[in-house]
Amino acid sequence: MKLPEDFDFTQSNLKDYLDCPYRFYLKYILHTKWPALLVDDALVFEERSKAGARFHRLIQQYLLGIPQSRLDAIAEIDPNPDLIKWWENFLENVPHLLEGQRYVETSLSTPMLNQRLVAKYDLVLVQDQSQLVIFDWKTSGKRQRKEWLLDRVQTRLYRYILARAGGSLTGTAEISPQQITMNYWFAPHPEAPISLPYNQKAFQADQTFFENCIQEILDRNEENFFRTDDERKCRYCLYRSHCDRGVNAGDLQGFDAFELDAEDFEFDLDFDQIQEIEF
Amino acid sequence: MPSSKFNLFGYNSTMPLTADQEKLLKQDIKSKYFLQGPAGSGKTRAGTHWLMKLIQAGIPPHQILIFTPQRTLSLAYQNALYQEEVQAPGPVNSLTLGGLARRMVDLFWPLVGVDAGFGAPNKAPNFLTLETAQYYMAHLVQPLIEEKGLFDSLTINRNRIYAQILDNLNKAAVVGFPYEEIGGRLKSAWVGDIEQLHIYDDVQFCADQFRSFCLENNLLDFSLQVEVFLKYLWTSPMCRAYLSQSYRHLIVDNIEEDTPVTHDILKEWLPDFESALIIFDQDAGYRSFLGADVESARSLKDSCDKIINFDKNLVSGDGIRQVTLGINNAIARLKGTPQPNPEPSFEAVRTAIVSPAENPKYFPGMVAWVADQIANLISNDVPPGEIVVLAPFMPDVLRFTLTNRLDELGIPNRSHRPSRSLRDEPATQTMLTLAQIAFQSWETLPERINLAYALVQAIDGLDLVRAQLLTAYAYKKSESDFPLQPFEAIPPRVRDRVTFRVGERYDHLRNWLEKVNEQAELPLDFFLNKLFGEVLSQPGYGFHDQLDSGNTVAMLIESIQKFRWAFGEQLISDEISIGKEYIQMVNEGVIAAQYVQSWETADEDAVLLSPAYTFLISNRPVDVQFWLDVGSPSWYQRLNQPLTHPYVLSRTWEHGEFWDSEDELAASYQTLQRLSIGLLNRCRKKVYLGMSDLDVRGYENRGLLIRIVQNILQHARRETS
Ligand code: SF4
Repeated sequence: MKLPEDFDFTQSNLKDYLDCPYRFYLKYILHTKWPALLVDDALVFEERSKAGARFHRLIQQYLLGIPQSRLDAIAEIDPNPDLIKWWENFLENVPHLLEGQRYVETSLSTPMLNQRLVAKYDLVLVQDQSQLVIFDWKTSGKRQRKEWLLDRVQTRLYRYILARAGGSLTGTAEISPQQITMNYWFAPHPEAPISLPYNQKAFQADQTFFENCIQEILDRNEENFFRTDDERKCRYCLYRSHCDRGVNAGDLQGFDAFELDAEDFEFDLDFDQIQEIEF
Repeated sequence: MPSSKFNLFGYNSTMPLTADQEKLLKQDIKSKYFLQGPAGSGKTRAGTHWLMKLIQAGIPPHQILIFTPQRTLSLAYQNALYQEEVQAPGPVNSLTLGGLARRMVDLFWPLVGVDAGFGAPNKAPNFLTLETAQYYMAHLVQPLIEEKGLFDSLTINRNRIYAQILDNLNKAAVVGFPYEEIGGRLKSAWVGDIEQLHIYDDVQFCADQFRSFCLENNLLDFSLQVEVFLKYLWTSPMCRAYLSQSYRHLIVDNIEEDTPVTHDILKEWLPDFESALIIFDQDAGYRSFLGADVESARSLKDSCDKIINFDKNLVSGDGIRQVTLGINNAIARLKGTPQPNPEPSFEAVRTAIVSPAENPKYFPGMVAWVADQIANLISNDVPPGEIVVLAPFMPDVLRFTLTNRLDELGIPNRSHRPSRSLRDEPATQTMLTLAQIAFQSWETLPERINLAYALVQAIDGLDLVRAQLLTAYAYKKSESDFPLQPFEAIPPRVRDRVTFRVGERYDHLRNWLEKVNEQAELPLDFFLNKLFGEVLSQPGYGFHDQLDSGNTVAMLIESIQKFRWAFGEQLISDEISIGKEYIQMVNEGVIAAQYVQSWETADEDAVLLSPAYTFLISNRPVDVQFWLDVGSPSWYQRLNQPLTHPYVLSRTWEHGEFWDSEDELAASYQTLQRLSIGLLNRCRKKVYLGMSDLDVRGYENRGLLIRIVQNILQHARRETS
């Protein structure tokens, strides 16, 4: 299958493929927009995702050096009452962990099988002796299990890409996987972040995993992007009516229980989503 | 993965570089270069190779900034990174002035909210799209028109009034003068009746009202984004430090199409970069009506370490080059200035320009001639993708007639946009009509015929005749009861005609709508998501498996969502239903006027039909161009914009001067010269001139362009003989 010319492999499209090859085909090859609801309680879901995006922005502003008093004032009147709690949790628990050269909201990529793998990091710290620490802020209610996080496409891809392309941040030619740690910090849970150090074995496994995955996608022809057998995946899939896999969107509780992450649905207040004004 | 589409102008490691391009690429990357040359001289391609040179030198891509006047112009650079041999460790950043301003205001909002005078500085800013800005303008100006009689001497469509006031605000921002001076500047240059001066006062009044309203409500239209950025962030050490740390290397393309404020910013910013390449197209400046300023672009030369010239157009064949010389001469003669070039060869011009032996009287005759010539070219092995048909604006009727004719002849063709706007798409109409039924409290029940059309779209197996029959019996506009009756409530003979199966589907849809009607009002976008997902895209309904309809509905929902996000609080505090307001604005043509984007891969090897300016900006050379309606003044005349003026509001305009007919004529010559030379620079072999005695609107076709062509031919013939 020939992918679109400007296609990048990212954590969300790889996850889509792993959930259901047909969803990947509809979304990224046919570019089919299917405007059904993802979750039934759409307003709460939207609000939750938007609050998450606002919180990410607040941290970004903090890391850029905007005076904290200004950010406090913004957090205090945020329409979502959780945000001020998250903000206080952050201020109490995180800043002392942020030693080093900061790369905020930075993107890196690496080639694989003539394709491009891309990751967009909330924060990468380059610390003494070239330790590289990835931080990912999560605002979802649940503090996920370490094993689950280790298996997550995001964890695997972000650490792998940093090992391959992190030299552009450190100014060195090579980065060894042992230099890398990925930290997930859950805003509603003020404890320490869940820390996932990388190593050579995991790096090799990730490389094989992504190569196999991409090769599989490239080898498939149109008819071979099959629908998933796991119909639970269809509950939180926009294409469910197109596939005759149900009528109503799954509920928000199930969404949480499924350990899905609202941020994976790219529902952020990205500038690029705001149509550019042609002036 | 490499794209043939981009390789002509973009990065291509297998195509040899020209001597000029080699010369640039031999330069040291630690310097700042101003690269100038005519269109088609390989500047952008050189720019993409320069980008590769930076990456191969180990510069992290995230430190490289590509700056263009329009996002699509950075595509050649973005796409270069997708070439197999390029191993870039990350994407490069592309920005436009608007993108830069919006990003910075969003990021540094806590620093500017108070100082810039926003009503709620601790609340998030609300960035307006063109569509939502237009809505707010309508919201404010409409009552002023209706109650206070503003613009009462004008007879243009109201949406054009709103658009032109916004245009003025944007011009003030990108040219760099206070918006409070818009009316004064327009008035000072006006010669004519006094009524126009009142109109300019009204323009200023509305601009003032709009700006105050935006400040009060944290709304930022394009003009306010640019102004806040310039005044509060560009001068802020924190923002400047952020920018200069983030971006170390700069590539600017099409600088001549950008605005004076952009040039000011780049001039100040240049010393912070380790390297820069600024690319300037000598004969262009097509976006002057959007504030582009060639002179201020050229002045960036002085801030660079070295100027590099690309002299030769690599695209045009000899015949076309001769026509270019001829046009420059002919315009010089018309202006009464010395002729810049020797006379072109008559034979070469004659071969490069083709026109009918005799002009047809009406435009369908012209269309038929054009289609026949295209068929002829294709039968002589010219690939359809090497043919483009251009007109100054390409009105729908012309595009439609030509497309039909080409289809009849079996000639593949494509157009720069589909012919229907979002609002006119049947899928949009269907969704909004059904919403009006579900939200009975809006008291905007649809007309019976519109409902019938909507049901035809919505229910699989229902035709218009039976839909009309169904709505005649089942639809009752009532204030209290739900307006759609159950299927069983209509007479049995009608039920039989409509059929039981359709009746079942109708009932299911009806019950679903009634249930929504009884519940608390859902935001319109979520309502449409549900209607689409739970009913209309299910088996038995019209959008099941209709991927195109899905795309249209998605675009509609996105437009409504942006509307809700932009308005939410304002309208809720006014107790207006956002959904109802949206539909009203659609009906008034204020919003949903954009065209539905299609992801269908455009057939590259097809004849392209496009407005001339769109083609120019797309930077794509072809073998053959057809220029339609060459007798029409639209090739050089300004649009009729009674509330604004691109020249008077430009930076080069001398305050206190009057804009008179001589200025108008000089502007026409300049527009025509730029446009025609720009097109010729993108043409390899031939230009066909399509013309009829009367144009599409029935006006006589005797404009400047045709006179210039005749003039070239006469002089060339005289010289040759
Ligand atoms: S509905 Fe189910 S089968 Fe269809 S695309 Fe989604 S996940 Fe795949």
